[in-house]
Amino acid sequence: MNLIVGVGDMKVSNDPESVLLTYSLGSCIGLAIYDPVVKVGGLLHYMLPESNIDVQKAKKNPFMFGDTGIPSLFKDTYKFGAKKNRLKIIVVGGSQILDQKGLFNIGKRNHTVLRKMFWKNNAMIDFEDVGGSVNRTLKLEIKTGQAWLKVSGTEMKKI
Amino acid sequence: MKKIDRIIEEIDRLKPVSHIGEKIMEVTSNPDSSLSDLVDIVKYDQGMTANLLRICNSAYFGLAKEIASIKQAVAYLGIDKVASLAIMGNSSDNFREAQEGYDLNEGELWRYSVSSALISQDLAEKKHLNNISLIFTSALVKDIGKVILNTYVKDSFEAINMAVQNKGLTFIDAEKEVIGIDHAELGARVAEYWNFSPAMVNIIRNHHHPENASDEDLAIPIVHLADCICMMMGRGVGSDGLAYRYYQDAVDRLNFSDIDLQETMVGFTEKFEDIEELISLSGGQ
Repeated sequence: MNLIVGVGDMKVSNDPESVLLTYSLGSCIGLAIYDPVVKVGGLLHYMLPESNIDVQKAKKNPFMFGDTGIPSLFKDTYKFGAKKNRLKIIVVGGSQILDQKGLFNIGKRNHTVLRKMFWKNNAMIDFEDVGGSVNRTLKLEIKTGQAWLKVSGTEMKKI
Repeated sequence: MKKIDRIIEEIDRLKPVSHIGEKIMEVTSNPDSSLSDLVDIVKYDQGMTANLLRICNSAYFGLAKEIASIKQAVAYLGIDKVASLAIMGNSSDNFREAQEGYDLNEGELWRYSVSSALISQDLAEKKHLNNISLIFTSALVKDIGKVILNTYVKDSFEAINMAVQNKGLTFIDAEKEVIGIDHAELGARVAEYWNFSPAMVNIIRNHHHPENASDEDLAIPIVHLADCICMMMGRGVGSDGLAYRYYQDAVDRLNFSDIDLQETMVGFTEKFEDIEELISLSGGQ
């Protein structure tokens, strides 16, 4: 069963029948993690880097922001027995419109916030496809941990 | 016949704007128009009145009271907004089908059009502009050119994509280079053919080129910015990806802070379900 992850949304599952799927990552980041031992996976689709623009809204929906969504994703998979050192980590998205500079370059900032958090917490990325001016779709199969990526203008590929 | 002429001839295969839609646009482009003008147009069409009331009563607007008449709708939402919604409830016909060339499934172009119009409206309200209905309607129909150009983009996709990847062209510039005309110019031709106001034609033509707007014109930068926000959020983005240009100078003219724009994105995402309902009430799916 496909579990669709919307914008500012997250799904975690250990149901072998489920497939986590997020469409249309523009400047947003799609972060997928998977523990092959306990076979649990999660997918986060966050839109903005930092929750300090509206702390109340971040409490209501932490998945809109990188700095609140990323810890939630990891913590939720730990509840199912996942261990950080076993996690396969996939990061895609963070695109930019051409000539987008400065503060409103959200794609770049979304990526930067993730890199900083990963650096601090010793999390290693296994696959990354970030930036450019493309649109991406990411899919993660819980039974096998197999992931797929579709980049605009091309076919869906295994990663 | 030249290829461009052949493409332009295809404007005829679009479903024309209804008489009532045309009338509403006339009223909204006239600064002296009044509530009674709008009520007079809509009241004889029961289907349209019922649909318009359903839209006004949808969760998106969060009105405390159920609205039972067009007059009441105008009292709560203002004539500008009600006119915009009447046009929205009447415009989805050409936008519903899948656009394979742009890799958009059935309903996606309309979903994108409504999203872009709502964000434009939100930005225009924040700037207290007085031509909000014009901005909303232009944003709503700005991609009508894609409906015609779609088959040509599909046939020439390899060449367009190569021009984007290898020459660093924007998707719209690549459309023009490979096909001979781009979707914004074609959209403007459609708008002219349908007798839309010159202001609307101008917005449609330049929504990817806000550097062409005159210094005092804020409508084009707003529609451009709303379009960029949609792309960033992945709304209606297909095979063209985000391969368009962001015109910082034009956006700077609007004087929004980075926080304002992020708040707009948060506000939109929070209302996601209400917006989906609005899209389906307006003829999408």
